[in-house]
Amino acid sequence: MTVYLDHNATTPVRPEVVDAMLPWLRDGYGNPNSVYSLGQRARAAVERAREQLAALLGAADPAEIVFTSCGSESDALAIAGAAWQAHDETKGRRRGVVTTKIEHDAIGLLGGQLRRRGLTVLEAGCGADGTVNADELKSMLDDSTAVMSVMHSNNETGVLQPVAALASAARAAGILAHTDAVQSLGKVELDVKELGVDLLSVSGHKVNAPKGVGALYVRRGVRLATLIPGHQEKNRRGGTENTASIVGFGLACELAGRELASASAHALALRKKLEAGVLRIKGARLNGAAASRLPNTAHFSFEGVDGHHLVVALDLEGVCVSSGPACSSGASTPSHVLSAMGVPPQIATGSIRASVGWGSTDADADRLLALLPGAVGKLRSAAKVSA
Amino acid sequence: MKRRILVAMSGGVDSSVAAALVHERGDEAVGVTMKLLARADTGFGCCGSPADVDDARRVAETLGFSHYVSDMAEIFASKVIRPYLDAYLGGTTPNPCVECNRSLKFGHLLGLSEAWGCDAVATGHYARVIDGRLHKSLEPGKDQSYFLYSLDAKSLSRAEFPVGSLSKDAVRAKARELGLKTADKPESMETCFVPNRDVRGFVAANADATAPGLTPGPIRDRAGKELGRHNGLAAYTIGQRSGLGLSGPEPKYVVRMDAASNAVIVGGVDELQTKTITVGALTWNGERNGGTLRADVRIRHRHAPAAARIELNGETATITFDELQRAPAPGQAAVIYHNDEVLGGGTILRSIVGGGS
Repeated sequence: MTVYLDHNATTPVRPEVVDAMLPWLRDGYGNPNSVYSLGQRARAAVERAREQLAALLGAADPAEIVFTSCGSESDALAIAGAAWQAHDETKGRRRGVVTTKIEHDAIGLLGGQLRRRGLTVLEAGCGADGTVNADELKSMLDDSTAVMSVMHSNNETGVLQPVAALASAARAAGILAHTDAVQSLGKVELDVKELGVDLLSVSGHKVNAPKGVGALYVRRGVRLATLIPGHQEKNRRGGTENTASIVGFGLACELAGRELASASAHALALRKKLEAGVLRIKGARLNGAAASRLPNTAHFSFEGVDGHHLVVALDLEGVCVSSGPACSSGASTPSHVLSAMGVPPQIATGSIRASVGWGSTDADADRLLALLPGAVGKLRSAAKVSA
Repeated sequence: MKRRILVAMSGGVDSSVAAALVHERGDEAVGVTMKLLARADTGFGCCGSPADVDDARRVAETLGFSHYVSDMAEIFASKVIRPYLDAYLGGTTPNPCVECNRSLKFGHLLGLSEAWGCDAVATGHYARVIDGRLHKSLEPGKDQSYFLYSLDAKSLSRAEFPVGSLSKDAVRAKARELGLKTADKPESMETCFVPNRDVRGFVAANADATAPGLTPGPIRDRAGKELGRHNGLAAYTIGQRSGLGLSGPEPKYVVRMDAASNAVIVGGVDELQTKTITVGALTWNGERNGGTLRADVRIRHRHAPAAARIELNGETATITFDELQRAPAPGQAAVIYHNDEVLGGGTILRSIVGGGS
């Protein structure tokens, strides 16, 4: 039996979401752009999902929701789209992207690509608690900046970022404000008006919908260069709509909105239980402990342990946690987020992240807590022997 | 009772079948592929190249057990590659497979296996463990006990070689029967981390360019007469004939490398022959019979063990063969057998060449 404590990596698809999707994979296969009724029914389903997303994000108009294939595409459309559009409209005067050192790779790697193609990309650091240095970031904004991008919460540590304050500073300087809210969706309240952002990325599979669908909130009137030209999504994103997944995403958002208060309270209780238990292990630390964090995410480091090997040890007993973002290569390189927080590499490489979510139980937390001290202890002994 | 066995999977056919046999007999196989090189894009067959990881993973998926990748590049660099470079730079001929087996597979990985609750580490080596003692494989042509001689009693007590009693043909047949992707994968014969068998290129690329082993120097005969120039000791191995650039009526071979004077010493084929070698870093399986014994000694992987008298002196031993042996190279292992059983072994320190007996 698998104990799944990696809801920040991906989430199980809820059965009611699967049920809602199936008709659109079977009989409802029409192209939403077709004139006949088979297509029009699909169109209606897509538009209903758009309303469900708009409702959860507090968007005034469902037309501000653009469906994409994933969170990474949403980020690329927002940042590259905004940067190239501003660049072209101002004949290259606005050519800057200001972001942070702790973004998801979707943005970190995109920044590198934009830099190689001639744009300016600046990254602000963060404090020891994992919160971005707001003053440093604000000082990077000027009249050459096209777009600012600051994640809503960090995917590794769960630390919530001061997006509203930074968005307000950006917009005051005529700069578009984007936030990658992929990790926050369904875990904390997200309201585009309260945040004051122009662009906000979300993804279906982090909120109990399937993989392969994401969305970008684009404030009415914001112009973006397109990445995938086409007439769909009001000319913002080409490609025939993924009706079934969009329907599933819509329902998952509606459920997440309805259950937000109880789900986050449940998650927080489990997180606190995990934190209390784990911190009893000698040499354990909780990263980002001093900051305000997502209710479901706890990120720990253990001195003298390789995080990847700890993940394997737990997996062999049926418990899924992660040792870093997408650590499939077997490499325990220190995460860029922990490095930015100033965590020494030899501690950063001994990290695991536990993230709870829909379906997580007390028993799941108990199972992890029962296994962890032994696994950490044995790996420490093994490391001493082969050192 | 079901045991949990860590299987070191290189992505080749031997370790694939080793894993399959563990799984088939009802134990819990845990496949692990070590990633040994830091660069992810190395396209050749060192453990953990992306293609090999994929192959190992596919085998695990096909058979239905877990598979993980473990990055051991750092420890491989310090325990295997660095000593390999140092040996060549110092004019000896290293044996990285021995060190990899000792420090990585049955060192670091064995330690991890215990932390992971595994009862043993299995590999695809052709060798056998009988009553805690290392033996040759049943197929003489494939035997790899030479590379495993330095495993200590504790390692051997936790080591399993599931294909050690099989022939290579039987291993491939088993892989085909199970539909494993790796069934017809070619053998890897060279040092896994050296691309294109270019030892000198590898040493030059990974060592300080001013290292003594890369400094040109004289090629001399045993009388001290300079016959030519060499490009650095790191390019040469005892017994080597080609690549010296020497002309003459008789073929010349490298008989010795003198790191102190940075000279390669060459001689005729008769000067390669020796009866006596000394070995250091001696390991012994079981109670050591001090003093003198008679046994068979293998001085390179494909060498047929030759009868010898062995004088044990603590960490070293003096080995005197009954017959002349060709080109024992300092740095290589000398492994001591009684019939199929490995008694011990060590690293060749010195060979007294020129027919000394």
